Amino acid sequence: MQAIQRATVIGAGVMGAGIAAQFANAGIPVLLLDIVPEGNPNRNALAEGAIAKMLKTEPAPFMSARAAKLVTAGNIEDHLAQIAESQWIIEAVIERLDVKQALYRKIDAVRKPGTAVSSNTSTIPLALLTEGQSAAFQRDFLITHFFNPPRYMRLLEIVTGPKTDAALADAVAAVADVKLGKSIVRCKDSPGFIANRLGVYWLQVGVIEAIDAGLTVEEADAVIGKPLGIPKTGVFGLIDLVGLDLMPHINASLSKALPPTDAFHTANRDLPLIKKMIADGYTGRKGKGGFYRLNRTGGGKAKEAIDLVTGEYRPEHKADLPELAGAAKNLRGLLTSKSKIGRYAWRVVAQTLAYAASLVPEAADDIPAIDEAMRLGYNWRAGPFELIDQLGVDWFIEHLEAAGLPVPALLRAAKGKSFYRLADGQRQYLGTDGQYHELRRPEGVLMLEDIKRVSKPVLKNASASVWDIGDGVLCFEFTSKSNSLDESIMSLLGKTIALVQSKYKALVIYNEGSNFSVGANLGLAIFAANIAAWSEIEKLIAAGQQVYKSLKYASFPVVSAPSGMALGGGCEILLHSDAVQAHAESYIGLVECGVGVIPGWGGCKEMLSRWTTSGTLPHGPMPAPTKVFETVSTATVAKSAAEARDLLYLRPHDGITMNRYRLLADAKALALRLVPNYAPPKPVELKLPGAAGKLAFTLAAESFRRRGIATTHDMVVADELAGVLSGGPADLVDIVTEDQILGLERAAFMRLMKTKGTLARIEHMLVTGKPLRN
Amino acid sequence: MKNVVIAGYVRSPFTLAHKGALARVRPDDIAAQVVAALVARTRVNPDDIEDLIVGCAFPEGEQGLNVARLIGLLAGLPQSVGGLTVNRFCGSSMQSVHIAAGQIQLGAGEVFIAAGIESMSRIPMSGFNPLLNPALQAKVPAAYIGMGDTAENVAKKWSISRVEQEAFAVRSQQRAAAAVQAGHFVAELVPIAAKSGSVDADGCLRPDTSAAGLAQLKPAFNESGTVTAGTSSPLTDGAAAVLVCSEDYAQKHGLTPLARIRSVAVAGCAPEIMGIGPVAATRKALQRANLEIGAIDVVELNEAFASQALACARDLGLRDETINIDGGAIAIGHPLGATGARIVGKAASLLQRTGGRYALATQCIGGGQGIATILERI
Repeated sequence: MQAIQRATVIGAGVMGAGIAAQFANAGIPVLLLDIVPEGNPNRNALAEGAIAKMLKTEPAPFMSARAAKLVTAGNIEDHLAQIAESQWIIEAVIERLDVKQALYRKIDAVRKPGTAVSSNTSTIPLALLTEGQSAAFQRDFLITHFFNPPRYMRLLEIVTGPKTDAALADAVAAVADVKLGKSIVRCKDSPGFIANRLGVYWLQVGVIEAIDAGLTVEEADAVIGKPLGIPKTGVFGLIDLVGLDLMPHINASLSKALPPTDAFHTANRDLPLIKKMIADGYTGRKGKGGFYRLNRTGGGKAKEAIDLVTGEYRPEHKADLPELAGAAKNLRGLLTSKSKIGRYAWRVVAQTLAYAASLVPEAADDIPAIDEAMRLGYNWRAGPFELIDQLGVDWFIEHLEAAGLPVPALLRAAKGKSFYRLADGQRQYLGTDGQYHELRRPEGVLMLEDIKRVSKPVLKNASASVWDIGDGVLCFEFTSKSNSLDESIMSLLGKTIALVQSKYKALVIYNEGSNFSVGANLGLAIFAANIAAWSEIEKLIAAGQQVYKSLKYASFPVVSAPSGMALGGGCEILLHSDAVQAHAESYIGLVECGVGVIPGWGGCKEMLSRWTTSGTLPHGPMPAPTKVFETVSTATVAKSAAEARDLLYLRPHDGITMNRYRLLADAKALALRLVPNYAPPKPVELKLPGAAGKLAFTLAAESFRRRGIATTHDMVVADELAGVLSGGPADLVDIVTEDQILGLERAAFMRLMKTKGTLARIEHMLVTGKPLRN
Repeated sequence: MKNVVIAGYVRSPFTLAHKGALARVRPDDIAAQVVAALVARTRVNPDDIEDLIVGCAFPEGEQGLNVARLIGLLAGLPQSVGGLTVNRFCGSSMQSVHIAAGQIQLGAGEVFIAAGIESMSRIPMSGFNPLLNPALQAKVPAAYIGMGDTAENVAKKWSISRVEQEAFAVRSQQRAAAAVQAGHFVAELVPIAAKSGSVDADGCLRPDTSAAGLAQLKPAFNESGTVTAGTSSPLTDGAAAVLVCSEDYAQKHGLTPLARIRSVAVAGCAPEIMGIGPVAATRKALQRANLEIGAIDVVELNEAFASQALACARDLGLRDETINIDGGAIAIGHPLGATGARIVGKAASLLQRTGGRYALATQCIGGGQGIATILERI
């Protein structure tokens, strides 16, 4: 297969359109085709409608408005010939074998041989799909099973047949990995592949066991959630998210395809309650609600849950279960608890993990594939075999036997061992041959967790560690709670700068937490404020300013590599880096105003510099401060790395990595590219409007206040921000230095910290995790 | 004194700022096409034109420098024709007409083009670098007041209810829609070349507007206010131009004069109620023309906001049937610098169409002013 210049997706349903959007997000032009709708004069109405709908969907399928322009809408009657220009054609039409096969014949007639054709089927075996198709088609065909929503779900299951061209499948996998950012799990051509097969079984068991045990949905979700490292949606919440109506379809297709001996059948019980809910339109979040709903009658928003016995909604009760205290660390304790809750936990976990063990080698060649599928397909923190290792293989076998449950052969073969082990720092897994095999990362993947397993930190304190990631590059890792920034991080960063200067070539700032950093440690700030330790707060602000400035002007390149949220001080560290290699799913923003302060670690200064030198704004003292005022006063967070570029949180030369696993390697490579002839940036000299500009910002804020958009304390914060961004006492003929702006930032920050409104905001954020609109 | 006449009127389509068809066209390019069309349609001898006077509320960026001169060159006017850019905010191009009239009566020329331009897509309201004087703000707190806030002030002070404003907005939309249907805009519209093709139709009109629909909108400027986006003129791109010459010249050179300028006036008022500006200006103009308001058959009263238009109509005692016969700025749009030329041209052509004798064109101006022109049919 040639490099992908263009792709086609046929079928503009939620999945097909979402897959097309992800190609567009990767910068690949994509043709999105659907049938010609009857009675509609617009023959492209279905694909056009899907694109328009996606532009309004939250969470957004597109990473930027620009990406949406890369999708061309069409229909299969007028535009099928255009697929000849695509190197990868994805079919995502209705799950009907006859429809798919007929479409394949049409595709085969117009596509160029050697171009990949894949199906997004979730239920139909490849062997059936390719039956009767040309030899060339069978050679170029595979299944690529995306998960919903395609932008956000990292899992991609790939199924190849005996006739599939292996090199072509590898090329498709490589594009899906590097360009679309997916983690590839190779599956066998067995029903439901891996994630749906096991996931649906797990959910089904979770539901029927809860009904049998007389648990409420809240109780069930509390058990099959956090203690197991499973998202808090648990079982019922997840079904609401996926859609209740989808379950019977998948159940029916699995039921038809799986042999009668498969454990799936025992879990596939007819549930009248679910049938009735679907019939009544309670299909989950997309419908009127599901097991949970928001009751808006009377204008309110009452959270309700369904009673599994009566089928009536009642107010939601947060489950308060003593069994769950410490359960995450003592899973065995939970599973052996004799209470109703303990028995439920055991029944669900035991059957699910045993079923997982029964799927190797039928559905997957090895156990890592199953674990990865569950981690990425369902956001489990640990896969089923990792969970079995936590329990102990022997313990699990013993308890399965005691409960009279079957022990799968793979599990029995592992007796006396664990499914994973470390050997010389390398992670190994137990193969079906009874031997351990090295767990290899795909080429070009560098994970800090692997480095940490085999080495000791070069520097370390309570909030951060520094690792040698080879080739003269150090990696600075935050290790504090939520990677919040504190004095320890600033101090270690200072030491790291000195160390790199003397012994290394470059620094990468990166970690593998779910968020790069949520900003400064507000708990510490409020503590200091409560005891009026103002000088301590000011010292921390000054220290942060100093360290970030040293980072910017260090004699070596600094590359930051965020993924997830990079907020407040976490964003400011990016702003002071020479370059950023951002994961596509980075959510970057200066959100300080939301908690009643202003960016105090050079965020105002850097944003002013960036907009002033961007070359995209009209000349004069106002445009740059205006842009920054708009972005910062509203605490705007970019919803993707692509969007962060529009806000100049990222610059044009900053890189974007689609696959999370490849982020560190890409960041390191970028840092090394900057090493030859590296020279620190020159300070930017700004001309700012002074009081004249501040007045314009104040008037703008006041108009927002009148419109009911800005709150009373927003006005106080906006006034301080306006003062900093307009350059304080500056006259527009003066040059304002970076240090002068840092001084303004510091003074404004301190004044705000002493206001009641700001302290109330910080406290509220710490308690609720949400901004206070006071 | 010489009589001065309006002897031609054209305009570009008015389209919504940012999303309309002219958003990607430079304002000088729009204006140049309008000016060239005015010359072609009136068949005035371009060598006779003394000056091109262009009104513009934010004369910077692509409508900066001395944009009038540049528009003249772009339009292919002879290099002997002058170029003057005028700023009286929304009253800019009506002021262009007044300057032309004054020059003619002074004997400083026979033929002028009075035009106006504004791209609100490409040059933001307040311009790129609004540098306000804090001392003035302290002295006159409303000096920099936002236009929406003045509309709220007028609504409150003149007790113009939201329902009345919305009824007025619906009326404006319906009259504009009827005018489109009847082809009343055909003669005045100049198609504008854009990269995406020729733009030949107005883009702001919302003929389906209903009172019920407007009632759903949130207040645009004050959460407890009555002014909404539906009762305000939209941000608009567009240009307009009129040919102003002495009556003698028109007769001698076979031009078709539409109306004679009887009087003009400007007047200041409090900045926080700038929308009432037309009242004082109109009264002055009427006095100068020695006319009573009852003599006016055709009124072009700019609809910056429904609240201020209604307040002015009430204070001046205007008859409803005379006001904005083909709809106003709420429906058609309000490209700040271009509106004055549009409503003077429109009033002149309406005198011809309706057979009325006197027309009034008047508008409010940010900062607290009004401007008015009284015309007489020829």
